[in-house]
Amino acid sequence: MSDSKLLMRFTGVGGQGVLLAGEIFAAAKIKTGGQGLKTATYTSQVRGGPTVVDIQLDDEEIYYPYAVDGDVDFMLSVAQMSYVLFKDGVKPGGTIVVDPNLVHPTEEDRKKWNIHEIPIITIAKEEVGNVITQSVVALAIANTMMNAIDKTALVDTMLSKVPAKVHEVNKKAYELGEKYAKEAMA
Amino acid sequence: MSTREVISTGNELAAIAAVDAGCRFFGGYPLTPSSEVMHVISDLLPKNGGTAIQMEDEIAGICCVIGAAMAGDRALTATSGPGVSLKAENLGLAQMAEVPLVLVNVMRGGPSTGLPTRVSQGDVLQAKNPSHGDYKSITLCAGSLAECYTETVRAFNLADRFMQPVIVLLDETIGHMHGKAVIPTAEAVEAAIVPRKSFDGPAEEYFPYECEADEPAVLNQMFTGYRYHFTGLHHDKNGFPTEEIETCRKLIQRLEDKVAMHEDELESYEEFMMDDADVMLVAYGSVSLAAKETIRNLRAEGIKAGLFRPITLWPSPATKMKEYTDKIKNVLVVELNIGQYHSEVQRATARLDIDGLFKVNGRAISPHEIAAKVKELY
Repeated sequence: MSDSKLLMRFTGVGGQGVLLAGEIFAAAKIKTGGQGLKTATYTSQVRGGPTVVDIQLDDEEIYYPYAVDGDVDFMLSVAQMSYVLFKDGVKPGGTIVVDPNLVHPTEEDRKKWNIHEIPIITIAKEEVGNVITQSVVALAIANTMMNAIDKTALVDTMLSKVPAKVHEVNKKAYELGEKYAKEAMA
Repeated sequence: MSTREVISTGNELAAIAAVDAGCRFFGGYPLTPSSEVMHVISDLLPKNGGTAIQMEDEIAGICCVIGAAMAGDRALTATSGPGVSLKAENLGLAQMAEVPLVLVNVMRGGPSTGLPTRVSQGDVLQAKNPSHGDYKSITLCAGSLAECYTETVRAFNLADRFMQPVIVLLDETIGHMHGKAVIPTAEAVEAAIVPRKSFDGPAEEYFPYECEADEPAVLNQMFTGYRYHFTGLHHDKNGFPTEEIETCRKLIQRLEDKVAMHEDELESYEEFMMDDADVMLVAYGSVSLAAKETIRNLRAEGIKAGLFRPITLWPSPATKMKEYTDKIKNVLVVELNIGQYHSEVQRATARLDIDGLFKVNGRAISPHEIAAKVKELY
């Protein structure tokens, strides 16, 4: 694995929009001159089955398209089932963000990883006012915590992939995600 | 060739490639993990003067593609392994009647409905012989996002050159992964199209199946005044059924020889860090990506590994493989099935001591698994 590689994993259940968040990350990295690749695995149960999205960002060419278990730098999880299935892919000391209303890490988990609790779905639903924006809140949290990509490039890419009429609400979602991430890290 | 950079998925790139290569008809039925090929081309074709139809099932999908191809269009169908099983009979018809078409198969777990959303390479032998009878499959396999585009383009050109179905194998991983690809411009692809041969002499002198022993039939576009008969039975120079002994023999031998005697036009492979390799991995499709990552890691540890990657799977690059395996003792075939190409590598190289690393649980083979196997064996 190259030193410049950043591995992020978004996990949830089918239908939560985590796939699009992964595509936005990969595309934004490529547009800023690097290499980005998104892969996803999901079950035949399209809604409700555990879904994992692997995002690799690198300055060098990426060959193997999945994050190798044990190498993942950052994981965000909004479903208990997916959290349990995929947490061991995160390297010891790596960062995990969970929605505390949906995911309940054990005490052992808290010793092994740097776990932050941010109520992502509630933020999207109540503060942004649209539950669909949870993937953008997640995007902002991941980027703020991992300092992965220039914020303007990421937001521009995100806006290019959503309809114009929801640009404002998605910008708001990004700002809120960034704010909560900064508070969690403080 | 001038190029462009795109950010896309393998399935989307296959659909774009088809349209750029002049495909104007798609017929099919959506099947995970290939459905995006159909979704994307359904948007693109009407904007480019073409037609896309969702038929009632996979069988009807290929039947209308055969019709469109006979009418003169470049035509595509896309599916996954279970869909190829349904299309098998008509793939045989297209082989027998020499109808050019392209089939993109995005492989998932099998047999039967298997693991719909998971990755596999279980259709490699199916691609060699989807239908009964003797003929020689042309099967190309993409090992990167860019190749989802370039191999689909190549498939259309080969279909028209050899007048038969050409199969493009993707797998779930390659089909769905999303990233950067540097591909030829649409203009460059269009400029390189060689239209299929046609006969322009007097209609009464047109015999589509009267050709040299190593050449394909010349099927003129329908509705242009040239008549011929179309059948899956053994047929004569007009296409009418016959049981005449020598005509039957020549026909089937020609189906074999039109490909076998021109393998140089089909052969395609990649050599990755093979110059000084003393461990040779053989892998194709998405597994080759894991193999490349493995090789990068093994070389950092001082193990001189390299990859031989067949791009044209059928006919296999047998001569080149043997050239390498005559020199290199340690050879490991890595694939997401139980040795479907391993047996071909053994045959091509006349070596029964070729090793294999196989996986069939719907999950990708990781670079760690390949490295561990290399260290265990050599």
